Amino acid sequence: MAQPLIRLKDVTKTYTRGGETLTVLNRLALDMEEGGYFALMGPSGSGKTTLLNLIGGLDRADHGLVAVAGEDLTVLEGAALSAWRARTVGFVFQGFNLIPVLTALENVELPLKLTGLSGKARREHALHALELVGLSDRAKHRPGQLSGGQEQRVAIARAVVSDPKLILADEPTGDLDRASAEQVLTLLDKLNTQMKKTILMVTHDPHAAQHARTIVHLDKGQLGRIEHNQPAAARA
Amino acid sequence: MLVPLSYNLRSLFVRKSATLLTVLGVGAVVAIVSGTLALQQGFHHMFTTGGRDDVAVFLRPGATNEGDSQFSRDRGLKLIKSVPEIEIGPNGPLAGMEAYLALLLAPKRGGVTNVPLRGVQPVTFEIRAKEVRISEGRNFTPGHDELVVGARLVDRIENCRIGDVLTLNKTPFKVVGILDHDGQFGGEIWGDLDRLLAAMGRYGPNRVIAQLKPGIELGSPDPAKALFSDEPVEPDEGTVAARLLKDTEVPAKVCTESQYLSSQTVMLSGMLVFIGGGLGFIMGLAAIFTAMNTMLASVAARTREIGILLSIGYRPFPIFLSFLFEALVLGLIGGLVGCVLTLPFNGVSAGAMNFQTFTEMAFAFRVGPMVLLVAIGFSIALGLIGGALPAWRAARLRPTAALRRE
Amino acid sequence: MPPIVLLWRNLWRRPLRSILTVMSLAVAVFLICGLRSIITTIRAAADNCDPRRLAVMSASGLFVELPLHYQARIDKVPGVEITTKFQWFGGYYRSQKNFFAQFAIDPETMFAMYPECKVEPDAIQRMATDRTACIIGSSLAREFGWKVGDTIPLVGALHPHPEDKAWEFKVAGLYHSDRPNFDNRTLFFRWDYFEETLKQGGVPPAVGVYSIRVAPGADVAQVIADVEDVFKDSEQRIDCTTEAEFQRQFQSMFGNMPLFLTWIGAGVLIAILVASVNTMLMAMREQTPDIGILKALGFTDGSMFVLFLLQSTFLALLGGGLGVFGALATAPFISAGLEMFAPGYAVQPGTVVLGAVVALAIGPIAGILPAMRARSLTCIAAFRGE
Ligand SMILES: Nc1ncnc2c1ncn2[C@@H]1O[C@H](COP(=O)(O)OP(=O)(O)OP(=O)(O)O)[C@@H](O)[C@H]1O
Ligand SMILES: [Mg+2]
Repeated sequence: MAQPLIRLKDVTKTYTRGGETLTVLNRLALDMEEGGYFALMGPSGSGKTTLLNLIGGLDRADHGLVAVAGEDLTVLEGAALSAWRARTVGFVFQGFNLIPVLTALENVELPLKLTGLSGKARREHALHALELVGLSDRAKHRPGQLSGGQEQRVAIARAVVSDPKLILADEPTGDLDRASAEQVLTLLDKLNTQMKKTILMVTHDPHAAQHARTIVHLDKGQLGRIEHNQPAAARA
Repeated sequence: MLVPLSYNLRSLFVRKSATLLTVLGVGAVVAIVSGTLALQQGFHHMFTTGGRDDVAVFLRPGATNEGDSQFSRDRGLKLIKSVPEIEIGPNGPLAGMEAYLALLLAPKRGGVTNVPLRGVQPVTFEIRAKEVRISEGRNFTPGHDELVVGARLVDRIENCRIGDVLTLNKTPFKVVGILDHDGQFGGEIWGDLDRLLAAMGRYGPNRVIAQLKPGIELGSPDPAKALFSDEPVEPDEGTVAARLLKDTEVPAKVCTESQYLSSQTVMLSGMLVFIGGGLGFIMGLAAIFTAMNTMLASVAARTREIGILLSIGYRPFPIFLSFLFEALVLGLIGGLVGCVLTLPFNGVSAGAMNFQTFTEMAFAFRVGPMVLLVAIGFSIALGLIGGALPAWRAARLRPTAALRRE
Repeated sequence: MPPIVLLWRNLWRRPLRSILTVMSLAVAVFLICGLRSIITTIRAAADNCDPRRLAVMSASGLFVELPLHYQARIDKVPGVEITTKFQWFGGYYRSQKNFFAQFAIDPETMFAMYPECKVEPDAIQRMATDRTACIIGSSLAREFGWKVGDTIPLVGALHPHPEDKAWEFKVAGLYHSDRPNFDNRTLFFRWDYFEETLKQGGVPPAVGVYSIRVAPGADVAQVIADVEDVFKDSEQRIDCTTEAEFQRQFQSMFGNMPLFLTWIGAGVLIAILVASVNTMLMAMREQTPDIGILKALGFTDGSMFVLFLLQSTFLALLGGGLGVFGALATAPFISAGLEMFAPGYAVQPGTVVLGAVVALAIGPIAGILPAMRARSLTCIAAFRGE
């Protein structure tokens, strides 16, 4: 088998606060293959967001190896790291997802500004991505004029617009009602099955986790159980 | 129910950088305005202290100031002898002739300036025994080519120290003393009347001053009024002033020294107040904008808190008052900073041209209670005006809207 | 490069705040331009003088007069082309508040020497035939509504009329000068009328300032030295300088006022800088989550730095531009209001440049602190609202 998309080895992350050292991730080792759909679960404070940030190159491990898509993130820095992020990862956060002064279309277009695409091509791509999440008619709306679920779908459109290999989602359904959450999850399924994106999603919701094919449990910074699952989408 | 004041005071403290910057901005504006006012006050103070009601100033009719006025020696003497209202001292009438000239000298800032030069008779020191004193060195000797220099000139004009020599046209005069006077004389150079007239090639004195007998009313119209009136201002019939003006031998325009001095300040004083007011208005706008910005941010950042206050039963008006209070405190602190910035200027000498005589007047910034009061009042006004709109916005929030907004 | 669309959009995020900041910047730049214009206007008087014109006055100052017979002696100095004389009249029209300058002059030599003082030929003709004639500046005429043929009564505060009445001058015409060294608010009248009237009262007339034009080809410095030499041992010491220097000396008598204007300008700058920093810090606090998002998307730290620097520059340029525009637009009105103190008030190109430089400089200076914070902020800190 080829290199896994994500390879974690011995990953340790600690925070010092007021002289006290808090080990958030403790010698974590895990491989995730390309094309997978992973759910990361665990109690609050167990280090899920921290791990996601390390994989997305938003934060740096104190120790160990974090290799994603063939790059060793522990040595990548500055502009090179930014460029890598733009190329490789799409983010969907729980809150703070969209820039409030930009329209949905402009928000989706943002990652493309880092590519060499022309303005026209950018707009076409962005419209296409909005279509994918079913929000073409909301292109001109500001985030303030969208519902929470619609905002998350715009965020998903933005995450895929630059065609990254990996989508990282931190509690994408955390603030949503059942129906909106279902829409968002269906979209993620589609990205995984049809567009072959690797997805890593942090969630508290066991129902949401059922959409993933692998469920990784994290507890007090250490790897717990790993469940393999036959997701509903695949069954259908 | 009022919102506790500590709630707003704490907010000012929590938002340190915004508070600090606003306070500095308001402070700078207040400093500009109060600095200009301190200049005006210094100028006003210089001219009005030492202005005496029992000293009369005689000018040639038609003259507007002592620079314009001119008497010949004989007419001056005749005037002194012929006015019964003049007090008699041990050595005769307490009245003297004065020459008012200007000397082109080099101020230390560069360029040139006209420094007032006053020729006086010994009797002047009798009349002014209480006000004028020689603080250093000695007085000039009558009949000699000697000068005493006003204390405010010493550090501002070249060649004004004891032992220096000032050349009047072609005659060298020696500086022998420092003249101390809170009023205008502290910015002048004094010497013997006849020696100065001879040296400068002038034939007569400019004005006559005299101490009046107690209880004498001259009845002169306010000369300051004449500055602005389109009609000639005449003294009322039957007054001493009217009699002297109509005198067939030596007609003279007379008024008290206080009146004379206040007429000399009106123009520059008015100009400084105008400049200060104009600057205050324009820069006040900028300061109000700054204060308003800060308060708007403060309200925006506490939208949720306001929502909570409203939902637990606080009425909009106390909330309005509480934010207004916050703005007021902000302005007040700015005003205090402005005062602190202005205070070091207190007593610093400055020179400005008196447009009425074209001579330079030396006077000191005066940061008195009046300046401080205006500064504080101004800063409070800035705070209140700047805070009104944000406070109104805060009070107008509906609890649901306040809680919903991100 | 940061997304440029954000520049404009963030400006309208809090419209009131942006408007207030832009307005206070505009006010400050307007004030700075105005203050500088006053100073340059005063200076322009000296800078525009004809370098071949000299002034001779008493070494003891303007208050001391020179004898009439000096003119003949000056005329004899080699290199002197023409001389003319001025005497300050120091009168007022009805009330002292109506202040303007009046001089007794020799019309023929005066007009020959000051070509910038433009007078119609008719007026010169009338001036020559009527002893009590005067010419008045165009601004003065407008201010008091005087026209050709009017009689202007002036109270001779400094030179009382021997018959104890007002002096009367008949307007022969108006003059106009478009050079800042020659103002349009003065009354000139004939020397012979002045002299004869004073003599009736037994007062010998004297001269305030003699003006000299150096002949083409003659050395100005040499003429100055020669003129001073002629009067070395005379009863009144004299001071001979170029007209520009004379103007500068006169301006230096304004005392510390120009210095105060500069201080005020500095105070204004500080106030406005502080206000702009305040606004930019508020903007940066508000946009903190955006910085997190943009950085997560792959925008670099450097581009975030640029974004904030551009935002404050944009704001400052907008305000500064408005201020400079305001200064230019109000110049005619201010000019009319300042006729008395700074005649010919005008906003010089240099002042426009100064306003532009202030506007250009304030932006980056006010933006540098927030920009540095935006650069060093990590995504994680941004999302945590730090
Ligand atoms: N910058 C930081 N400084 C100090 N401690 C931190 C920091 N970031 C996170 N932590 C701590 O690290 C631990 C893990 O945080 P993390 O956000 O990864 O948890 P999580 O699993 O995502 O929790 P949740 O489900 O509540 O989102 C927590 O105890 C948190 O307090
Ligand atoms: Mg988390």
